[in-house]
Amino acid sequence: MHVRQGIKLLTAISAFIATLVVIQLWLVAASLEALYSDDTAVLVPATVASAVLFLVNLLLLMWGRGKV
Amino acid sequence: MASEPKWREQYPIDVERDHYVTRRGFATLLTLGSGLAVLANAIIAAVGEWIRRPARTGEGVFVAKASTLATGASILFRYPTGEDPCILVRTQSGVLRAYSQVCTHLSCAIVHEPASDKFFCPCHHGYFSAGEGRPTAGPPTRRLPRIWIEQRGDDLLAVGKDS
Repeated sequence: MHVRQGIKLLTAISAFIATLVVIQLWLVAASLEALYSDDTAVLVPATVASAVLFLVNLLLLMWGRGKV
Repeated sequence: MASEPKWREQYPIDVERDHYVTRRGFATLLTLGSGLAVLANAIIAAVGEWIRRPARTGEGVFVAKASTLATGASILFRYPTGEDPCILVRTQSGVLRAYSQVCTHLSCAIVHEPASDKFFCPCHHGYFSAGEGRPTAGPPTRRLPRIWIEQRGDDLLAVGKDS
Protein backbone atom coordinates (compact mmCIF):
# COMPACT_ATOMS: atom_id res chain seq x y z
CA MET A 1 0.00 0.00 0.00
CA HIS A 2 1.23 3.48 -0.80
CA VAL A 3 2.40 5.45 2.24
CA ARG A 4 -0.16 8.22 1.80
CA GLN A 5 -2.99 5.73 1.47
CA GLY A 6 -1.81 4.03 4.64
CA ILE A 7 -1.77 7.33 6.52
CA LYS A 8 -5.28 8.15 5.34
CA LEU A 9 -6.51 4.69 6.29
CA LEU A 10 -5.07 4.88 9.80
CA THR A 11 -6.46 8.38 10.24
CA ALA A 12 -9.91 7.18 9.23
CA ILE A 13 -9.67 4.18 11.54
CA SER A 14 -8.57 6.39 14.44
CA ALA A 15 -11.50 8.75 13.85
CA PHE A 16 -13.97 5.87 13.76
CA ILE A 17 -12.54 4.28 16.90
CA ALA A 18 -12.68 7.68 18.67
CA THR A 19 -16.37 7.98 17.77
CA LEU A 20 -17.11 4.55 19.20
CA VAL A 21 -15.14 5.36 22.36
CA VAL A 22 -17.29 8.48 22.85
CA ILE A 23 -20.39 6.29 22.60
CA GLN A 24 -18.88 3.91 25.16
CA LEU A 25 -18.22 6.81 27.53
CA TRP A 26 -21.85 7.82 27.17
CA LEU A 27 -22.83 4.23 28.06
CA VAL A 28 -20.70 4.43 31.22
CA ALA A 29 -22.37 7.70 32.26
CA ALA A 30 -25.85 6.31 31.53
CA SER A 31 -25.08 3.13 33.50
CA LEU A 32 -23.97 5.17 36.52
CA GLU A 33 -27.16 7.21 36.37
CA ALA A 34 -29.22 4.02 36.13
CA LEU A 35 -27.35 2.54 39.11
CA TYR A 36 -28.17 5.57 41.25
CA SER A 37 -31.80 5.37 40.13
CA ASP A 38 -31.96 1.66 41.11
CA ASP A 39 -32.79 0.84 37.49
CA THR A 40 -30.58 -2.24 37.33
CA ALA A 41 -32.30 -3.77 34.29
CA VAL A 42 -30.21 -1.73 31.84
CA LEU A 43 -26.80 -2.39 33.36
CA VAL A 44 -26.04 -5.76 31.77
CA PRO A 45 -27.31 -4.78 28.29
CA ALA A 46 -25.20 -1.64 28.46
CA THR A 47 -22.13 -3.71 29.32
CA VAL A 48 -22.82 -6.09 26.43
CA ALA A 49 -23.23 -3.16 24.03
CA SER A 50 -19.97 -1.63 25.25
CA ALA A 51 -18.19 -4.97 24.81
CA VAL A 52 -19.49 -5.25 21.23
CA LEU A 53 -18.16 -1.77 20.45
CA PHE A 54 -14.81 -2.73 21.95
CA LEU A 55 -14.66 -5.82 19.75
CA VAL A 56 -15.39 -3.68 16.69
CA ASN A 57 -12.60 -1.32 17.72
CA LEU A 58 -10.19 -4.19 18.22
CA LEU A 59 -10.98 -5.79 14.88
CA LEU A 60 -10.63 -2.44 13.11
CA LEU A 61 -7.27 -1.84 14.75
CA MET A 62 -5.98 -5.29 13.87
CA TRP A 63 -7.17 -4.95 10.30
CA GLY A 64 -5.65 -1.49 9.94
CA ARG A 65 -2.31 -2.57 11.34
CA GLY A 66 -2.29 -5.53 8.99
CA LYS A 67 -2.91 -3.33 5.99
CA VAL A 68 -0.35 -0.62 6.78
CA MET B 1 27.95 13.97 11.83
CA ALA B 2 30.03 17.09 11.28
CA SER B 3 27.09 19.49 11.64
CA GLU B 4 26.06 17.99 15.04
CA PRO B 5 27.13 19.97 18.13
CA LYS B 6 29.58 18.17 20.38
CA TRP B 7 27.13 17.77 23.25
CA ARG B 8 24.86 15.74 20.97
CA GLU B 9 27.38 12.92 21.03
CA GLN B 10 26.96 12.60 24.80
CA TYR B 11 23.17 13.15 24.81
CA PRO B 12 21.94 11.25 21.75
CA ILE B 13 18.25 11.11 22.73
CA ASP B 14 16.07 13.31 20.54
CA VAL B 15 13.30 14.27 22.95
CA GLU B 16 10.86 15.44 20.26
CA ARG B 17 11.23 12.29 18.23
CA ASP B 18 10.97 10.18 21.39
CA HIS B 19 7.62 11.77 22.33
CA TYR B 20 6.26 11.53 18.82
CA VAL B 21 3.06 9.46 18.78
CA THR B 22 2.38 7.67 15.56
CA ARG B 23 -1.11 7.26 14.19
CA ARG B 24 -0.80 3.57 14.89
CA GLY B 25 0.12 4.25 18.52
CA PHE B 26 -2.80 6.67 18.86
CA ALA B 27 -5.26 4.14 17.49
CA THR B 28 -3.87 1.54 19.90
CA LEU B 29 -4.31 3.96 22.80
CA LEU B 30 -7.91 4.61 21.80
CA THR B 31 -8.63 0.89 21.68
CA LEU B 32 -7.11 0.52 25.14
CA GLY B 33 -9.44 3.27 26.35
CA SER B 34 -12.30 1.37 24.77
CA GLY B 35 -11.34 -1.70 26.79
CA LEU B 36 -11.23 0.36 29.97
CA ALA B 37 -14.75 1.65 29.24
CA VAL B 38 -15.98 -1.95 29.00
CA LEU B 39 -14.30 -2.72 32.32
CA ALA B 40 -15.96 0.30 33.94
CA ASN B 41 -19.35 -0.80 32.64
CA ALA B 42 -18.78 -4.34 33.90
CA ILE B 43 -17.89 -3.07 37.38
CA ILE B 44 -21.02 -0.90 37.46
CA ALA B 45 -23.15 -3.86 36.38
CA ALA B 46 -21.56 -6.07 39.06
CA VAL B 47 -22.25 -3.48 41.75
CA GLY B 48 -25.85 -3.13 40.61
CA GLU B 49 -26.58 -6.83 40.25
CA TRP B 50 -24.77 -8.37 43.20
CA ILE B 51 -23.59 -5.80 45.71
CA ARG B 52 -26.41 -3.27 46.08
CA ARG B 53 -29.09 -5.37 47.67
CA PRO B 54 -31.86 -4.02 49.92
CA ALA B 55 -30.89 -4.26 53.56
CA ARG B 56 -33.48 -6.42 55.26
CA THR B 57 -33.53 -7.04 58.97
CA GLY B 58 -35.13 -10.01 60.70
CA GLU B 59 -37.06 -7.89 63.15
CA GLY B 60 -39.64 -5.55 61.84
CA VAL B 61 -40.92 -2.22 63.03
CA PHE B 62 -44.68 -2.09 63.42
CA VAL B 63 -46.30 0.32 60.97
CA ALA B 64 -50.07 -0.29 60.96
CA LYS B 65 -52.83 -2.87 60.93
CA ALA B 66 -53.56 -4.07 57.41
CA SER B 67 -57.33 -4.06 58.03
CA THR B 68 -57.28 -0.34 58.82
CA LEU B 69 -55.77 0.61 55.46
CA ALA B 70 -58.45 0.96 52.80
CA THR B 71 -57.78 1.11 49.06
CA GLY B 72 -56.33 4.51 48.19
CA ALA B 73 -55.49 5.30 51.82
CA SER B 74 -52.05 6.14 53.15
CA ILE B 75 -50.26 6.21 56.51
CA LEU B 76 -47.16 8.11 57.54
CA PHE B 77 -44.54 6.43 59.68
CA ARG B 78 -40.84 6.69 60.50
CA TYR B 79 -38.29 4.05 59.53
CA PRO B 80 -35.52 3.07 60.22
CA THR B 81 -34.97 6.03 62.57
CA GLY B 82 -37.19 8.78 63.86
CA GLU B 83 -35.57 11.14 61.39
CA ASP B 84 -36.67 9.17 58.30
CA PRO B 85 -40.25 9.95 57.24
CA CYS B 86 -41.95 7.25 55.18
CA ILE B 87 -45.36 6.69 53.63
CA LEU B 88 -47.37 3.47 53.30
CA VAL B 89 -50.17 3.28 50.74
CA ARG B 90 -52.62 0.72 49.48
CA THR B 91 -52.76 1.39 45.75
CA GLN B 92 -55.93 1.33 43.66
CA SER B 93 -55.07 -2.25 42.69
CA GLY B 94 -55.01 -3.21 46.39
CA VAL B 95 -51.23 -3.68 46.65
CA LEU B 96 -49.39 -2.37 49.71
CA ARG B 97 -46.38 -0.19 48.95
CA ALA B 98 -44.14 1.87 51.22
CA TYR B 99 -41.53 4.44 50.28
CA SER B 100 -39.41 7.13 51.76
CA GLN B 101 -41.45 10.32 51.95
CA VAL B 102 -38.44 12.38 50.92
CA CYS B 103 -38.61 13.60 47.33
CA THR B 104 -35.52 12.58 45.36
CA HIS B 105 -35.35 16.02 43.73
CA LEU B 106 -34.78 18.45 46.61
CA SER B 107 -36.01 16.48 49.66
CA CYS B 108 -39.49 17.95 50.10
CA ALA B 109 -42.18 15.78 51.68
CA ILE B 110 -44.33 14.01 49.09
CA VAL B 111 -48.06 13.40 49.53
CA HIS B 112 -50.32 10.68 48.15
CA GLU B 113 -53.04 11.58 45.66
CA PRO B 114 -55.61 8.75 45.73
CA ALA B 115 -57.46 10.07 42.66
CA SER B 116 -54.46 9.64 40.37
CA ASP B 117 -52.78 6.91 42.46
CA LYS B 118 -49.56 8.89 42.45
CA PHE B 119 -47.29 10.68 44.85
CA PHE B 120 -47.10 14.43 44.43
CA CYS B 121 -44.29 16.75 45.49
CA PRO B 122 -45.75 20.23 46.05
CA CYS B 123 -42.39 22.02 45.93
CA HIS B 124 -41.69 21.64 42.22
CA HIS B 125 -44.70 19.63 41.05
CA GLY B 126 -43.00 16.29 40.70
CA TYR B 127 -45.00 13.07 40.42
CA PHE B 128 -44.10 9.47 41.28
CA SER B 129 -46.07 6.29 40.52
CA ALA B 130 -47.51 4.60 43.60
CA GLY B 131 -46.84 1.12 42.27
CA GLU B 132 -43.08 1.48 41.67
CA GLY B 133 -42.10 4.86 43.06
CA ARG B 134 -40.70 5.89 39.67
CA PRO B 135 -40.82 9.55 38.65
CA THR B 136 -43.52 10.14 36.05
CA ALA B 137 -43.50 13.93 35.70
CA GLY B 138 -41.64 17.00 36.89
CA PRO B 139 -37.99 17.49 37.86
CA PRO B 140 -37.32 14.30 39.88
CA THR B 141 -35.22 11.77 37.99
CA ARG B 142 -34.63 9.09 40.63
CA ARG B 143 -37.01 6.57 42.07
CA LEU B 144 -38.26 6.83 45.65
CA PRO B 145 -36.34 4.48 47.97
CA ARG B 146 -38.63 1.57 48.76
CA ILE B 147 -39.41 0.37 52.28
CA TRP B 148 -39.94 -3.39 52.43
CA ILE B 149 -43.16 -4.30 54.23
CA GLU B 150 -43.95 -7.73 55.65
CA GLN B 151 -47.43 -8.76 56.73
CA ARG B 152 -47.63 -11.01 59.77
CA GLY B 153 -51.27 -11.70 60.44
CA ASP B 154 -52.92 -8.31 60.50
CA ASP B 155 -49.70 -6.48 61.41
CA LEU B 156 -47.69 -4.63 58.80
CA LEU B 157 -44.01 -4.46 59.68
CA ALA B 158 -41.21 -2.51 58.02
CA VAL B 159 -38.29 -4.92 57.58
CA GLY B 160 -35.85 -3.18 55.27
CA LYS B 161 -35.06 -0.29 53.01
CA ASP B 162 -33.50 0.02 49.57
CA SER B 163 -29.97 1.37 49.75
